[in-house]
Amino acid sequence: MDVNSSYLLSLTTFVYLGAAAIYLVYWIFRLEKIGILGTIVTLGGFLLETAGIILRWIESYQLGYGHAPLSNLYESLVFFSWVTILVYLVIEFKTKNRVIGAFATPFACLAIAYASFSPNVEDSIQPLIPALQSNWLLAHVITCFLGYASFAVACGLGIMYLIRGDKVKSGNYLLDALPTRRVIDDLMHQTIIFGFLWLTVGIITGAVWANQAWGTYWSWDPKETWSLITWFVYATALHARFVRGWAGKKIAYLSIIGFISVIFTYFGVNFLLSGLHSYGSS
Amino acid sequence: MKSNKSSQDGNIVIRFFSSVKLAIFLFIVLAITSIIGTVLPQGESLQFYLENYGPFWFKVIRTLHLYDTYHAWWYLTLMALFSINLIVCTIKRLPYTLRLFRKDGLNLSKDDILRRPFKNSWLVPQRTNPVDIKKEIKGLFYERAGKGRSKNVDGGELHFVEKGKWNYWGVYLIHVSVLVIFAGAIIGSFMGFKGRVMLLEGESTDHAIKTDAHGNIKKIPLGFEVKCEKFVVDFYPNGAPKLFKSDLVILNNGKEVLKKSILVNDPLTYQGVTFYQSSYQSVPDVKIKVVSSDGMQKIVHLSAFRDRETWKEKGLLIGMMKFLPKVHGAPAVRLYIGDIGGRDGDAIWLLSGHEREEKFGDLNLKLSLLEAQERYMTGLQVKKDPGVLVVWLGCFMMVAGFAIVFWVGHNRFWLWLGEDGKKLNVILAGQTNKNKVHFEKEFKKLSHEIQKRIGEA
Repeated sequence: MDVNSSYLLSLTTFVYLGAAAIYLVYWIFRLEKIGILGTIVTLGGFLLETAGIILRWIESYQLGYGHAPLSNLYESLVFFSWVTILVYLVIEFKTKNRVIGAFATPFACLAIAYASFSPNVEDSIQPLIPALQSNWLLAHVITCFLGYASFAVACGLGIMYLIRGDKVKSGNYLLDALPTRRVIDDLMHQTIIFGFLWLTVGIITGAVWANQAWGTYWSWDPKETWSLITWFVYATALHARFVRGWAGKKIAYLSIIGFISVIFTYFGVNFLLSGLHSYGSS
Repeated sequence: MKSNKSSQDGNIVIRFFSSVKLAIFLFIVLAITSIIGTVLPQGESLQFYLENYGPFWFKVIRTLHLYDTYHAWWYLTLMALFSINLIVCTIKRLPYTLRLFRKDGLNLSKDDILRRPFKNSWLVPQRTNPVDIKKEIKGLFYERAGKGRSKNVDGGELHFVEKGKWNYWGVYLIHVSVLVIFAGAIIGSFMGFKGRVMLLEGESTDHAIKTDAHGNIKKIPLGFEVKCEKFVVDFYPNGAPKLFKSDLVILNNGKEVLKKSILVNDPLTYQGVTFYQSSYQSVPDVKIKVVSSDGMQKIVHLSAFRDRETWKEKGLLIGMMKFLPKVHGAPAVRLYIGDIGGRDGDAIWLLSGHEREEKFGDLNLKLSLLEAQERYMTGLQVKKDPGVLVVWLGCFMMVAGFAIVFWVGHNRFWLWLGEDGKKLNVILAGQTNKNKVHFEKEFKKLSHEIQKRIGEA
């Protein structure tokens, strides 16, 4: 079979699926060896996906288009899954906690599975239309997706927080394997700040680019507006910590609502609303 | 903002406008109301809303200006409240932030130091020369922790090193940056303009056109002339557009002062006015030779902007009704031939390369298409926005603020050296407001090294 980037990337889907399953098994049986296997498989998938992305970049040069693989829905979904795994691996490395993997890797797996197997997503390499011919494309897409991926992980942490329960020891075998709420909350807060930073930079690079291409840095295009709505949701989550009675559960809910808003900014706007970002939908 | 509860001033207005709860309320309301303008089409005619949404919703849309949600009075009021909230918070936070910033780490007692979150205390029997070991521990402390200051406290010497003190300004910077961005947007909306220019190749203009929400057209003088020398459009083999390019020339008092080819992502700026490549049209441009039976002839030049011409001597009116760039590989024009009064007329097709005879009244005409081409007309977006640099300044401040909040922590180390009976008491303490795990590692390392040095004594 001819090895091309689409083939490598669809293969990555199964590796991430395997990784998610292994992390789940690790959560249930808590055998250190299974956990390490989970990390190895995730890392393997990450390297495979990296190779796929680089190969796609090379292929685009061979076709005579020559642009970074960040220009349409397929490429953005692949990049989203790649960054999600990257953010997760950094968190795993820093916290030494592998159970989080059971909550983070499924997001990456779903994104790349949708890219690879949905008939709605066109996986061929297309040339850049004039509006996209800018160095800001790279800066804008990378920063936005660093934000999106962090929010995906924060959403996973929010779900984890809600099922963890208040008690330090609940007597439930599965729940007690999760980090304490304090730890999850702290991690979620850090991840949201990190995502918020990149979402902000993503919006700003988009504004600079729009100003250069269309002469207006903000035009209330649906995509822009939804990114602002997402920004407001996470601003709420960050300020909620200063209000008595708002910390904890409410922030976990906001983390989930925020990610729903991210998904809408990402897909909903492309499919349901029309605007300047129409090239993101095919 | 944190001082909210402990706030001494009883002014309820200030308390209301500086509360975090108001900020959260505004975030949520702005998030929800912002959805409206993404779901409801914006900037359409009132007729459109009446036809599509019925009389009830039409009234709601008109009253609440939902056809232009983000400039509606209530949306701008929310934004204004948000700004007031930010301004009051910012002013109220200043003394609090200054206090944290100016707090002197040396202004602590020995007991205070022992209450820090990270601490270690050793007692060293003074078998060796105490001056020597003190000197070595101090050396170690400054070498590992960095430059610092010292002072005599509680009968001993207190050494203090801190890093990242400006961490406290991070959140402050973010809050101020939002106000700076708003200021930039306001400057732009009052002192700038946005308009359009449509130029045929070879054409020039000294004004831009602005169409307001009600369809009224306004001319905005540029103060100079802009000319389009050439427009180029190119496509990929799959038909997707590859390049839109206009070669522009700026003329000031008729003199050429600037020349540039602009692309979609590469505009031209002159005297604060920027021209962006935004669209194009192709318009027909044809020359027709009309020969009458008496031997007289006329060249009729028609284009999109001069779609009719008269031939007074013969009392004829010739107009272009339609242009097709390719009919069996050649251009074709649908012509109207009538008398000047417009009472009588025929429509005929004229194909390039095919002369056509036409009888009109008592005239016998021979018509042929001399030249038929499509000329490009470039569509430029024109903008002047003196507020944009202020907006970028705000954006820069915001990103810098976030970077500080996320990556910079205020790390403090204390070392106290004093006598405790006949022994030397060494106290190492530390505190951070960020990334405790990393700080703990650093603290433990320094602790371990001091321990090792003491063990050798």
